[in-house]
Amino acid sequence: MRRLFYKIFLWFWLGIAVVSATLVASTVLTHSRSAQDERWRQRYGPMVDLWAHREAEVFDHDGRSGLEKYIGSFVKDPGVYGFIFDGEHEVLGRQVPPRVLRVVDQVDQYSVGEPRFFTGERIIGEKAFGPSGRAYVVVVTYPQPPIVPRPVFQYLFADLGRQEIIRLVAVLVVAAFFSLWLARHITSPIEKLRWAVRQIANEHLEARVDKTVVARRDELADLGRDFDSMAQRIDVLVAAQRRLLGDVSHTLRSPLARLSVALGLAREGAAPETSEHLDRIEREADHLNKLIGQLLTIARVDSGVDLEQKKVFDLGLLMEEVAADGDYEARSRNRAVVFSPSSECLIEGAPEMLRNAVENVVRNAVRHTAVETNVEITMRCQRVGEGPQATIQVRDHGAGVSEDAIAELFLPFHQIVDGMRHDGIGLGLAITERAFRLHGGKVTAANVPGGGLIVTLELPMVESNHQPYVG
Amino acid sequence: MTIESSAEVKKTTVPPGRQVLVVDDDAELCELISQYLTRQGFAVETVHSGTKGVERALSGEHAIVVLDVMLPGTKGFEVLRRVRAQSRLPVLMLTARGNEQDRILGLEMGADDYLPKPFNPRELSARIEAILRRSTPDPTEIRPGVAELIVVGDIELDKGTRVARRAGQVVALTTVEFDLLETLLRSAGRVLSREDMVRGVLSREFSPYDRSIDTHVSNLRKKLGPRPDSLERIKGVRGIGYLYALSHGSSEGEE
Repeated sequence: MRRLFYKIFLWFWLGIAVVSATLVASTVLTHSRSAQDERWRQRYGPMVDLWAHREAEVFDHDGRSGLEKYIGSFVKDPGVYGFIFDGEHEVLGRQVPPRVLRVVDQVDQYSVGEPRFFTGERIIGEKAFGPSGRAYVVVVTYPQPPIVPRPVFQYLFADLGRQEIIRLVAVLVVAAFFSLWLARHITSPIEKLRWAVRQIANEHLEARVDKTVVARRDELADLGRDFDSMAQRIDVLVAAQRRLLGDVSHTLRSPLARLSVALGLAREGAAPETSEHLDRIEREADHLNKLIGQLLTIARVDSGVDLEQKKVFDLGLLMEEVAADGDYEARSRNRAVVFSPSSECLIEGAPEMLRNAVENVVRNAVRHTAVETNVEITMRCQRVGEGPQATIQVRDHGAGVSEDAIAELFLPFHQIVDGMRHDGIGLGLAITERAFRLHGGKVTAANVPGGGLIVTLELPMVESNHQPYVG
Repeated sequence: MTIESSAEVKKTTVPPGRQVLVVDDDAELCELISQYLTRQGFAVETVHSGTKGVERALSGEHAIVVLDVMLPGTKGFEVLRRVRAQSRLPVLMLTARGNEQDRILGLEMGADDYLPKPFNPRELSARIEAILRRSTPDPTEIRPGVAELIVVGDIELDKGTRVARRAGQVVALTTVEFDLLETLLRSAGRVLSREDMVRGVLSREFSPYDRSIDTHVSNLRKKLGPRPDSLERIKGVRGIGYLYALSHGSSEGEE
């Protein structure tokens, strides 16, 4: 559902989490590096002190050969080298690395009786005096502390104190709130825009984007404003078109009314052959009448005026009346309408609009069902999914409709191509579809495998404890 | 004015009870209707505004009003309301095709019948005849000196004066409602089919999908209210029609 929301939230939150975790980890790691240095210092410091004095003593006594033996037995740690200087000369004549040479002077000047540390250079030096009173400078180099003797994570967890964990959690919690706010800030106007788009798609053309979106100062607000002006334009255009339809039909009605009466006058004392033509004119005028009537009905349904005063009424009763009327019409044509009633079905809406809507479906079925067959109407009122719903099915035993025409069945002026329909005007089912949609329901059609068409009409029901409308 | 005066002239040659007032804003249509109805033996007066329509309708010179309820300005319904407030003059209203709401509203406000516009003039004259037949008592039925009275339960119908009473109180009924009640009371306790009611009361052929008889029944129910035992007087019988229910244990006589 709200994938963008979760995406933004997770990306930002994880981003902040990764950055802060890296920060904590690197702090812990560098901290453990200096701790290691400290450990080495503590380990080699006293040793260097000891060596310096011993080496000075040994060299004084036994000279170079004695010292070589001593060093060989003493310095065993890998990477640890000791040098002993007499003045500027390494007494054993060994190759001295430049970094060692650089510190000799300093040790000579400042370090008497205690080791001097050059942590960055990993060098410890001490000036010591032999028994002869000669001063020697001893410099020991030690290696970098090993970096990967254990995996980093082991370090991390070993050295991750409670404080670090608390800090990390605090950062994550704050980051979560921040990301949540950010995700909402970006997605909530999108949700509101989407709502407006859906409203327009459902022909609620008066829908506009929420004020809070337009009040922002960013691209989403621009989008909202553009959407609003688009909706406004569509609303105006559609309203104008509908008004035009209604106005044209209204205007057409007056000349038609005059024509009908004039026709009646012309009939008076007309010759038989003229009568025949007048009959034809009357049929055509009737057809025009019906067409205009339906156009006006559709304009009225679209305008929604009938829904301004809704009533709660029993749809079952209404269906029964429509079925009885349909049966009356059908019987004169050697067909029948069979209705299986259901329990009470309370609907809120405009009863006359819905009566007209179901009537169109029933009459359509009566017109198309084969001779000596029944139009079967069933009705169910039950809780389906979101709420209680009334489902009416009207089934005829006619030729059905070709599959690709089914989708167009409820469009205005649809005529079934195979010529089966000749007396229809083509607006009845469009009126039905609009009336049901206006009541929050829907209308669908499907061919029955055995032949015939089944039209399904669905309407949301009123939750019970309403009083039905009587009369 | 010329039309009115010509109507005045014709009135002398037309038998009483056949004066028709047509209220419609379309002057040309009025002229055509007037021509047609005149040939059918009616005297026709036409008026093109609502205010004038009310004034003429209340003059007492007409047997029936043909009223276009889609009049601009003073709405046709307003004319109907003001006429009904003071008179029981039969009203045939012309409603918009495709507007069931107008038909129901008009019948509820006391119109006797309706015709969707545009209409066939033959249908118009047939409806007018039917309404007039009901509202003018058949001379053969009237027995001088004997006021025919129908009594069922707390309802009392006086055929002579065409007055209906419930528990002694006068109930204002339109012509068609009076006839409907009479028909129902005459066969109280028996089911009447909607078909028979349309033929008998509205004097026209039954056509399915026409619910005017049901609207009239509903109006009658509202005016009469429930029975003293708080049950519905006029019961709907599913798929058939209506029944005026007799109260149990009592057999009120008719007439």
